[in-house]
Amino acid sequence: MSTTIRIEHLARVEGHGGVTVVVEDGAVSDVRFDVFEGARLVETLVRGRRYEDVSQILSRICAICSVAHALTSIKATERAFGVEVSPQTKALRDLLFRGENIESHALHLFFLALPDYLGYPSAVALAKDYPDAVKIALRLKQLGNTIQEVIGGRAVHPVNAIVGGFGRVPAEEQLISLREALLAGIADCRAAMDLLVTLPAADYCHTDTVFAALDSTGGYGYFHGDEVTIVANGRRTQIPGDAYLGFTNEKAVPHSHAKHSSYNGRPYMVGALARLTAHHDKLDARAHEVMARLGLTLPSRDPMDNNKAQAVELSADLHLALETVDQLLSSGVHDEPPVAFQPRAGTGTAITEAPRGILIHSYRYDDEGKIASADVITPTALNAASVEDHLRCSVRQAGTNETAELTKRLEMIVRAYDPCISCSVHLVRRRDAE
Amino acid sequence: MSKPTAGIFGLTGCAGDQLVILNCEDQLLDLVALIDIRDFLMAGSANDTGCDLDIAFVEGAVMSKRDEQALRRVRARARTLVAIGTCAVWGGVAATDESAPRDAWLEEVYGPTGADYDSLPARALHEVVQVDYQITGCPIEKDEFVSAVANLLNGDAPLLPQYAVCVECKFRECGCLLTERGEVCCGPMTVAGCNARCPALRIPCVGCRGPAADANFASATAMFTEGGVSPQDVARKLRTFAPQGVQQ
Repeated sequence: MSTTIRIEHLARVEGHGGVTVVVEDGAVSDVRFDVFEGARLVETLVRGRRYEDVSQILSRICAICSVAHALTSIKATERAFGVEVSPQTKALRDLLFRGENIESHALHLFFLALPDYLGYPSAVALAKDYPDAVKIALRLKQLGNTIQEVIGGRAVHPVNAIVGGFGRVPAEEQLISLREALLAGIADCRAAMDLLVTLPAADYCHTDTVFAALDSTGGYGYFHGDEVTIVANGRRTQIPGDAYLGFTNEKAVPHSHAKHSSYNGRPYMVGALARLTAHHDKLDARAHEVMARLGLTLPSRDPMDNNKAQAVELSADLHLALETVDQLLSSGVHDEPPVAFQPRAGTGTAITEAPRGILIHSYRYDDEGKIASADVITPTALNAASVEDHLRCSVRQAGTNETAELTKRLEMIVRAYDPCISCSVHLVRRRDAE
Repeated sequence: MSKPTAGIFGLTGCAGDQLVILNCEDQLLDLVALIDIRDFLMAGSANDTGCDLDIAFVEGAVMSKRDEQALRRVRARARTLVAIGTCAVWGGVAATDESAPRDAWLEEVYGPTGADYDSLPARALHEVVQVDYQITGCPIEKDEFVSAVANLLNGDAPLLPQYAVCVECKFRECGCLLTERGEVCCGPMTVAGCNARCPALRIPCVGCRGPAADANFASATAMFTEGGVSPQDVARKLRTFAPQGVQQ
């Protein structure tokens, strides 16, 4: 007997995607994470464009990761041109990335994922019974946006970050206000954790999982660094960023319409859980305390733990952002112009951590400083094979054939990955609407 | 009196305009108290996908048959349809010239099966259905969205500027990047509403809101070309976000 579970259009995720699972005689015969976002072909749109336009065009791949796309683009261009930026620029970029991570995690945790745990269709419905929690969540999300506005000039599609530095460096008063907002945010986050620790377990899938994350330099972060750490069966492997094709080696697989990435033939997971698995030792005792409170033990065998990992990062990011603001204030923030540089022919590859995992931009420039070719690899594309693996595992371990229950579990697992389907469309082959 | 019903939809794009709506943290709970948002897939899972809607907000460009069908369904349900964001108003960053070798690009990015994809050149909403109001921006500005909702609830048309970014730039007394620094700033051709966000940060305007009503592209192209930028580069720059709105 064959049953097909089809989630036509996933709600509470970014972009347009669905899930199809076929169960035959109790065994999963087909699993597909379907993507049917239109093809925008942005890699071809930047060809021939001058370097200063590239980050603005490519940030439009995705709004929720727009800081990550813009800054990863800038990092790749700086690699190609051999640009070395100032320590102040480095600190501000670090802070800008953290702002996006705070906003994105607050949005995902409280507005996209939390309603499932408490049995509501949306955060608006949730607000009727949990008004304070939703207000706290809104404030945390707003704080992330404020950081992006102050440093990046806009909360969605930042404009102030450019090759060599910033258009205008934020003024001291702005950083002082940010400091106040971060202190309030830390108190809010503590209150939010009190709710998160009471959530019922969502125990749907247990399996060995391979993780990949940027080995960030200068502490736990998302922007600086060039190597990727892969953790498989307790073994760690370091891969230099320039050799990224070695772990993004995509190939078509017969059971799916998505191109899949694998490492030594195994799918791997990227995102908050992967970052913590590979690099939690870069976080302080306070973050480990949050981890313990949430009951997160590493290495995890449960993809739903990505939600807990995001909560740990949310808390840690507020403290780390405060540290950076304090450093900038104590060293004295100065309105420096972007560093001068000469565009030249060359290639540059940048690897960073978007809120939902490893993001790669790799460019080749001609001698006029125009793009000859661009390659963009997004976290949701990297995660596609792992999502399918975990969906398959959850059906196998469900111990039920009940469609409503299975559908709920499948949706929650996809959501736990915090997929960004606008992003993924670049490399995941779309499954067209019949 | 019952609350007006609304739906918020995304076609092909980056979801940035829906994100701006979710970013109205200070107004969000008031907004949902005033309007009954029945269909908003990005934010909720219990949507009424068939009900009539007093207002539908639609972001993104029409880039597939699927998008086209979705837009026609929304149009049939909605009393008032509002296009939000530069993609919905102008086609946006993925819009290309008619001469673009789209089939070859599809194959280049997606391999040999790319040719079979449900993929169309980007169109603005008004090229497919009747659109009642348009709020441009990449992404839309929070303030423009919130005041447009207030206007619509009062039965008024949203009041949006038609003039160029330069007007706002002068109000803010920013130095002119074009005349003083010789940069290719699209401010004179681009419609205002962003409060000259980029020039105020000493970043030249990239034209992300699409053209102003009375933009003079020939004059701008001549001016930039005189400054040493090739006519092709000027044309490409001006056409980044709204190729259909920019005269050759």
